[in-house]
Amino acid sequence: MQSSFLKKKPKVNGAEESQGVRGWLDRRYQLTPLVEFLRHKEVPIGSHWMGWYYLGGITMFFFVVQVVTGVLLLMYYQPGEATAYESIRFLTTKVPFGWLIRSIHSWSAHLMIISLTLHMFSTMMLKAYRPPREMTWVSGYMLFLLTLGFGFSGYLLPWNKLAYFATTVGTNIVKSVPLLGDWLLQVLRGGQDVTINTLYRFFAAHVVILPLGFVGIIALHLLLIQRQGMAPPVGATIAPRGMKFFPSFALRDALLWLACLMALATLAVFLPYGPGIPGMDWELGEKADPLAPAYPGIKPEWYFLWEYQLLKEFPPHLFGLEGPQVCLLLIGVLFGIWAIIPWLDRRAYHDKPSPAFSDFGWAAILFLTYLTLMGWDIGARGISDELAAMHNVARVCASWTLVVGALVIVVRYWKFGGRWFILSGAALLQVALHGLAGVSYLLSGVIAVAVAAIAIAISYMTNSRTDAGDAK
Amino acid sequence: MRAIAIVVGGFLISRAIFAADQAPAAGNSKLTAMLAAKDANGKPIITPEEQAYFSGLNDNLRALLDDLVQKEVITRPEHLATLLGLQLRPQKMEVLLQNRCVLCHTDPESQSAENLFSVGTTSRQSAVHMNLKEVIEDVHFRRGLSCAGCHGGDPTADFGHGFVKEWPEKDRQKNRAWVVEFCARCHSDPKMMHDFNPSLPTDQLAKFKDSPHGRTLLDKHDDRAPSCVSCHGVHGIRPAKDPQSKVYAQRVPETCGACHADAKTMAGFTRADGSPMPITQLAEFRESVHGRALLVRGDLGAPACNTCHGNHAASPPSVAQVSRSCSLCHSANASLFDGSKHKQAFDQHRWPECGQCHSNHAIAKTHDSMLATGPGQLCGDCHREYARDHPDCIKTADYFHDTITQLDQARTRFIAVSERFAGRGLDVEPINNQLTELGDALKKSRTYVHSFSRNTFQQVAAPGEEAVKQTDALIKKAGEEFKFRQIGLVMSISFIGLLMLAMYLKLRQMEK
Repeated sequence: MQSSFLKKKPKVNGAEESQGVRGWLDRRYQLTPLVEFLRHKEVPIGSHWMGWYYLGGITMFFFVVQVVTGVLLLMYYQPGEATAYESIRFLTTKVPFGWLIRSIHSWSAHLMIISLTLHMFSTMMLKAYRPPREMTWVSGYMLFLLTLGFGFSGYLLPWNKLAYFATTVGTNIVKSVPLLGDWLLQVLRGGQDVTINTLYRFFAAHVVILPLGFVGIIALHLLLIQRQGMAPPVGATIAPRGMKFFPSFALRDALLWLACLMALATLAVFLPYGPGIPGMDWELGEKADPLAPAYPGIKPEWYFLWEYQLLKEFPPHLFGLEGPQVCLLLIGVLFGIWAIIPWLDRRAYHDKPSPAFSDFGWAAILFLTYLTLMGWDIGARGISDELAAMHNVARVCASWTLVVGALVIVVRYWKFGGRWFILSGAALLQVALHGLAGVSYLLSGVIAVAVAAIAIAISYMTNSRTDAGDAK
Repeated sequence: MRAIAIVVGGFLISRAIFAADQAPAAGNSKLTAMLAAKDANGKPIITPEEQAYFSGLNDNLRALLDDLVQKEVITRPEHLATLLGLQLRPQKMEVLLQNRCVLCHTDPESQSAENLFSVGTTSRQSAVHMNLKEVIEDVHFRRGLSCAGCHGGDPTADFGHGFVKEWPEKDRQKNRAWVVEFCARCHSDPKMMHDFNPSLPTDQLAKFKDSPHGRTLLDKHDDRAPSCVSCHGVHGIRPAKDPQSKVYAQRVPETCGACHADAKTMAGFTRADGSPMPITQLAEFRESVHGRALLVRGDLGAPACNTCHGNHAASPPSVAQVSRSCSLCHSANASLFDGSKHKQAFDQHRWPECGQCHSNHAIAKTHDSMLATGPGQLCGDCHREYARDHPDCIKTADYFHDTITQLDQARTRFIAVSERFAGRGLDVEPINNQLTELGDALKKSRTYVHSFSRNTFQQVAAPGEEAVKQTDALIKKAGEEFKFRQIGLVMSISFIGLLMLAMYLKLRQMEK
């Protein structure tokens, strides 16, 4: 006896129920509404460049590549004191295409962080976080943090010298967390020092804990995007022109993914150990030796360089606290502000242009750029005196940042009609004071923040007076 | 009454005890006054550092100093300052304070400049060998021989002069020949030396007498020749293992060079063949491979002058001795040479074996071009002049030269390729393993040249040639692997590109 739902259903709204596999599936899982949803789903085409909409998809593509290559690496990788390094060495030298898998995994990791950062900043600039998409921003932000966690935990797994010392330096930072510092360090390292126990827990984090969290949040992120659609441009009063998500947008997405795959393959073949930039290099080198002395010039991966440099700019003691503690506090505050931007940006909340927050985004980019460039020691070559080298690095990096900052402001002014530059101006003021005038990094930061605060206050008062005048 | 008697008695007893306590205080006050003394300008004579040193002294040393002040051995604050200024460790200070010779001869008021021990070479006008800091570091002084050990007398007596009979009262400076016999009183006495250092030889005098130095000094009475003190110093004699010793390995070239690089000292001296004695040895040695190893790299295993020439019996090595000296370190080369045809030929010509090709003091780093046979080159020039009847030898030399040059060039090339391939992510471990083999074979081949035998040389060069073949094959394989990767990439890209094109066309068609 057949149950009733397996029987052919009567015509609905004059359309015959589909046959074959689709019909079979539809009867069980009611796919039709989903297909209808996809068929009608549109991507808004607004005043801004469509390219920004693809960055999320590209990031997801890199994540999928990470999962696939990661699983393949897992087939050979053996965590352990005598096996971790050896298994990676075996994989890259003896296993057919092992080199390719590792190289793609590493390249894709870095490219994922690049595309993710661009995706985050584009979302920020286009105010796509405004209601009703606050949770999309928050979930995306969590994915960003998890990605950094992936980068940090994966770095140690080959158990080579560079990774060992970089992880020692990196994990040491959490010691400065007030009250919990020592305990956190123990939890992170699985002991007082970086040992093979650290590798075990980093391995667990990299292949189980982080992926579980990541998959859950990415599912939520995607669900929210699918439910709410892509954010239209700010202030679009009438429904914007749309592009069909399926197949027009999806096919374009797929085309881009294929282009990314091409780029990955080419990079993996010709630059198997990275582009040769410090912090973006994964040559296996020597095995980690916990008894060997740490060598000078240990630096983290490029995306952690700004934090590393910021820590260096802090004095040993400040406001009765240790310098690194204050620095961590500052980084915490900055990360916190970034997380709650959808609620801070009141103008965007009411679907009005909010140039101040666009400028905040640019200020953040300039702030990160200057610190990252300094972290790379650009301008130190050929100078043996440490202090002179430091001053030259600050000067050269400041010059570059100022040039980039000035160009950005000019382009924003002429091309996009931007008129609000207080925060990016303040960021550039700090760069100029520190790099060119030789004022300490912190003091120049304080001056820049004070100047920005005064400028904002004046601009606010002028605006309210104008508003009051208009009202009269 | 009894109570009064007890109180008075108690008072008297306490006074007596107090007086007994005060007894050495008289001496103390003298020493205290000396410590606090000021010069004509009102400046303290005992510096704060010297005061601090005094405060840190133990009771025993303070009592000794107090006693010496009491007995008026130390009479002036300047004298006390000289002793405290040495900043000696307590054990050494104790030895010093019990030595009347030193105590008298450190008093600037009572001693002539010639007999005064100074603290530093610049502080007072006394001879260099009277530097007190050097004296207390002297190995003899440290072993308790002190002044009397050589000069005689009684160091505990107030005035203990009583020189030993071997000590020449007059004309000590005119002829130094007496010095060697003077030192030999102990150093040639095995029983005596056994008490101090059983491992120290006692044949120095015998060797010296038989050496050119000894003959010049003792037979010809030429004072330019060295005596014991010329190399070992006078009062600051240290063991040869002490880096501050004048005969420490790294200081030997400079010590020998003090005479041998000095034209004035060496004027008139000739070699066995009658030619003037050269003075370029030190300069040549400094630039040589041995000199750089010893003096620049600090390799104490590298030879100094005495390694080849001997020390107390220093003499130019004879023809046969040259190779024996070299073979002490370069044993493999020497034994190969001894078994070669060259041995006989060199003996016939009375050529110093190693020195003939490598020179002596100016031994430079060897180079493969030494094996070349063209005009102006070592093997070629010699063979054209002395072995014209043996054309095969030139062929053998050419074979050595070509083989070693090829191995060396191949190694240099392979290293560069290996680095390039490593950068491309290729597996270079097998290549590097072969490179190690090749490096070993090359090193051995260079040594086995000294067999001057084609067959012997071939045995060690063959593994190198095999390594070159293997490396060539491995490099070819790695190159093919890279090509495979490139082709694979092109194919993948083409496939993906076609797929993209198809998708693009489909997209366009759909959107029309």
